[in-house]
Amino acid sequence: MPAANISALGATRKMLGFSRRTLEFEHATVADLLRGLETSDGRSLYDNLVCGGKLLGNYAIVVNGTSLNSEQLNMPLQGGEEVVAMAILRHLHGG
Amino acid sequence: MCLHGCGILVEVRDGVALKIEGDPSNPDNLGKLCPKGNAGLSRLYDSTRVLKPMKRTNPQKGPGIDPKWVPISWDEAYEIVARELGKIRADDPRKLLCAIGDFQRILLWGWPAVFGSPNFFSSVGNYCGGSYHPTNGMIDGSFAGINDYEYCNYWIQVGSGDGFSAHLHLAGSAKRMADARMRGMKLVTLDPYGSVSAAKADEWIPIIPGTDRAFVLGMAYVLIHELKQYDSQFLRDRTNAPYLVRRDGNFLRDAEGHAMVWSLKLAAPQPWNTVAPDDVELDGEHQVSGLNVRTGFRVWADLLCDHTPEKMSEVSTVPADTIRRIAREFVEAAQIGATIKLGGKTYPLRPAAINFYRGAQSHANGLFDNLAFKLVNMLVGNLDIPGGHLGVPMDHRGFLISEGEDGMVRPEPHQLHPAAPFKYPPDSTHLAEWFPLGFDAGQLNAETFFNPERFGLTYTPEAMLMYHSNPLWNLPETDKLEKIMARMKFVVAIDIQRTESTEWADVFLPDHTFLESYLLNCLEPPVVTGHSLRQPVVKPVGDTKDAYEILTEIAERIGFRDDWNDLLNVVTGFIAKPKYLLDAEKSYSIEEFVDRYARSIYGDDKGLEWFKKNGHAVRHRTPEETYLPFGSLRIPFYFEFIKRTGDDLRQKFEQIGMKDWPLDNYQPLPFWKNSQVIEDGKAGYPFYAITFKEALHTFANTLVMPWLSEVSEKDAVHGGILVNSVTAAQLGITTGNRIRLQSPAGSIEGLAQVVEGIHPQVFAVSNAITRCFLTNDRQKQRGSHFNRLLTGSIRYTDNTTGGLESTARVRVEVIK
Repeated sequence: MPAANISALGATRKMLGFSRRTLEFEHATVADLLRGLETSDGRSLYDNLVCGGKLLGNYAIVVNGTSLNSEQLNMPLQGGEEVVAMAILRHLHGG
Repeated sequence: MCLHGCGILVEVRDGVALKIEGDPSNPDNLGKLCPKGNAGLSRLYDSTRVLKPMKRTNPQKGPGIDPKWVPISWDEAYEIVARELGKIRADDPRKLLCAIGDFQRILLWGWPAVFGSPNFFSSVGNYCGGSYHPTNGMIDGSFAGINDYEYCNYWIQVGSGDGFSAHLHLAGSAKRMADARMRGMKLVTLDPYGSVSAAKADEWIPIIPGTDRAFVLGMAYVLIHELKQYDSQFLRDRTNAPYLVRRDGNFLRDAEGHAMVWSLKLAAPQPWNTVAPDDVELDGEHQVSGLNVRTGFRVWADLLCDHTPEKMSEVSTVPADTIRRIAREFVEAAQIGATIKLGGKTYPLRPAAINFYRGAQSHANGLFDNLAFKLVNMLVGNLDIPGGHLGVPMDHRGFLISEGEDGMVRPEPHQLHPAAPFKYPPDSTHLAEWFPLGFDAGQLNAETFFNPERFGLTYTPEAMLMYHSNPLWNLPETDKLEKIMARMKFVVAIDIQRTESTEWADVFLPDHTFLESYLLNCLEPPVVTGHSLRQPVVKPVGDTKDAYEILTEIAERIGFRDDWNDLLNVVTGFIAKPKYLLDAEKSYSIEEFVDRYARSIYGDDKGLEWFKKNGHAVRHRTPEETYLPFGSLRIPFYFEFIKRTGDDLRQKFEQIGMKDWPLDNYQPLPFWKNSQVIEDGKAGYPFYAITFKEALHTFANTLVMPWLSEVSEKDAVHGGILVNSVTAAQLGITTGNRIRLQSPAGSIEGLAQVVEGIHPQVFAVSNAITRCFLTNDRQKQRGSHFNRLLTGSIRYTDNTTGGLESTARVRVEVIK
């Protein structure tokens, strides 16, 4: 069965209770993968990060190094993907 | 000591570092070093270094007050810091003010964000790059810019020391500049002061500070309206200059939202991507369904109608004939239509370009300044073209290029961190949420701290962390800053030496110098790419630690080391290569971190051990990596993006009822308008004051290095406040007189140094004589803290980018 690796950083790590896991799936999209991950509040990671089909601005989903937009969450997975779910920290410093 | 990491070789005998030389194998600096590099030993062995953690025992704080430091153990130091900052974090992490200035360790700058603090209490970076970096990012995904040393034949240098005294990778750039001059490149320097670039130029044009934009707008007028010479093919095919603009400033769009161009064959507007290049009109005006539309090019041409050389001469004091002559020389040297073959590919060749940096654009209309220089370069078709003005990426990752709207490059004004979304009340004391295009305007702390109600701030900072930053020196409004410092209940400093700012600290955590620590560095390389390794050449001289390990340990003890690791996973790019991800549950030494970072970029066979042996993985950027990085995408000539950002922000401010926040700089094209500094001249401040640097110094800390201080002392340009000889005679000033410069914000005193090489209306203060913490008493007498002449108020801040005004209007008094 194909599998994808999920890494969770920051707030998403705390929601899920793990940093990294390998998940098997059958005919799944990225959104399906996120729906299958239960968070500490009893909902799914998808429910925490997406509202009305739109990825909330404080979060990013990165697949194989590319940050996805909301529409791309429906992208089908092939197997072997590296998926990273993370909160975006905006107030970094710069000069 | 410097942002950029030249390759060095260090001779060590019996555990003692004896000599530093440039590494000839490193193509970045070609074996050359500037004085700072050579003087690195005087930092390593400086007897005034702090070599153990220190605790303050004097509860009194203030300028000149002895902290009465006592040495403590690292464990005690960490315990105190973790306890005090932990209390802040538990209460409200926003109450921590952070001042961070170690550019080479830019990966660590996210620490405050992980702590939960949105605040930036420094102007490091914003003093020079506040408007510059966002503009570069908005045009071609670059971070900086430089003329093409290899092929440029006519180099106009505006307010910059590139190739002579400052800015990008000085050691190697000086060699490249010399080589270009040897092959016949002509150099014209615009600068109020006879800088090294001015002194070595073929022509030096003195100019009023902050009016360089007027000069190049006058050039643009000449190119478009008098000579009628510009690269119409470049503008038509590679920019959005032909896109049709409505009178409301927005693009004309079809029902599907496509921007439109004018088809010459159809005599009608068509979507931009449906018209063959030679059918697109560049310069035109039409009526479309009752709407007047003009091409973006025409909009600017019309705007420039009253920017004649005569009018721009009144602003800048540069004679109109000079503006005309330079414009003609510039466009002739640009060889519009010429090509060159590089690496088997044919490129346009445009060997004339305008280069610019701090002096040219660190002003309250800085966005306009930057746009003007870029657009005049675009007029001759030289942007990112051989011979022309080239974008410089921030690091090894290259240009941030992706497709945006209308076939354009997506604007990337934020390359150091994501934009902070608009918020009211704001979270940050420097109002980052109100500058969607901007940098971190640390100078605004002086406004918000004492008037929080005006800005809706709901908390007051109580603690400060300073890491290689000297905010009392690098920010304006020192008096207000000292009051802010006095209100801090706890201050921790991570640094190498005591400074004006660290004297307010409660705990001092001593960092390694660059000769005692590990780092992989690749920042703003103008012609190369790849990292150089910083590695210890000797054992640490004292009981110091690496700043990465210090920050990691503090995070561990407070309880957010896991989040800190997660942030490092993002800023290093490990999230794109998950096999290198840091485990949230583990602590990593600096060696482990650098090894992982190296392998994630260069492969598992090129980790820390490889870099220790080889020193660097630096190579020249190829022509493909250097020229036309945006490929078939278009770059902006008309900045509808900026206008729309301003429109959106205006709506948001109206919703919160804040009508007096200035937004007038959100314009799609640059033009001349007076800044507050110009207006101050009408209030009894007839002269201008500027500060400048030479190759000896970058940040505050080089000023106290004994060797550099000794060399500075011998050069007359660091001998005092520079004043033109004619002006001095009129005012009765002679060299050695003690004089006072008074601006609307404050005053400074110093010894007058009468020179020929400065504009008659300008006084100049070398940054070498601006530290009150200098150990060299002779230097202390010659000048004083230039920033006391500046203000951090919004009236002196670019209201799009947050860039601060670095010039002051002054009047002069002879004291004795």
